Amino acid sequence: MRRPQKTCSICESGVRVVDFKDERTLSRFLSERGKILPSRLSGTCARHQRQLSTAIKRARVLALLPYLKGHGG
Amino acid sequence: MTRQYEAVYIFDSALEEAAINERLERFHALLARPGAEAPQLAHWGKRTLAYPINKHETGYYVIAKLETSPDALPEFERAVKLEAGVLRFLVVVSEGAQPVPATVDKGDGEDDE
Repeated sequence: MRRPQKTCSICESGVRVVDFKDERTLSRFLSERGKILPSRLSGTCARHQRQLSTAIKRARVLALLPYLKGHGG
Repeated sequence: MTRQYEAVYIFDSALEEAAINERLERFHALLARPGAEAPQLAHWGKRTLAYPINKHETGYYVIAKLETSPDALPEFERAVKLEAGVLRFLVVVSEGAQPVPATVDKGDGEDDE
């Protein structure tokens, strides 16, 4: 039994390079706690998953995205 | 040789716009190179930070697209780091201007094969 292949939503939207300043898009690929979702769950292709990972880490440095969500503080 | 960079600054939101512009000009004067284009600035303005930085909850964001030579960067980064009005900054090589692959031009020819 094979699960149907998920398609990469970034490829579908026609974006070639993921921008670290676009925190609204990036936040779609975060878990409830602010962790980066694995491509297994989000369906992103390897190329865009690599770009996402760098972009999310840069956005965290710039306080556009939290390192940890739901942390009392 | 010059390269394209992208810099993001987070200023203390208590600073006035004139003070921020004065600092930006001072930073970018360090990067000025003959033949290089003037930096393109985008002011995002005051935003809430995702987490507090030095007990500040808000920051004033400025994005700058720069063209400069790599050997100017260490001095520039040192100057920005020492500036107390900057909460945080990030300089990355800009991916915006990527060379277009040569195959794109030959798009029509490939259908014949």
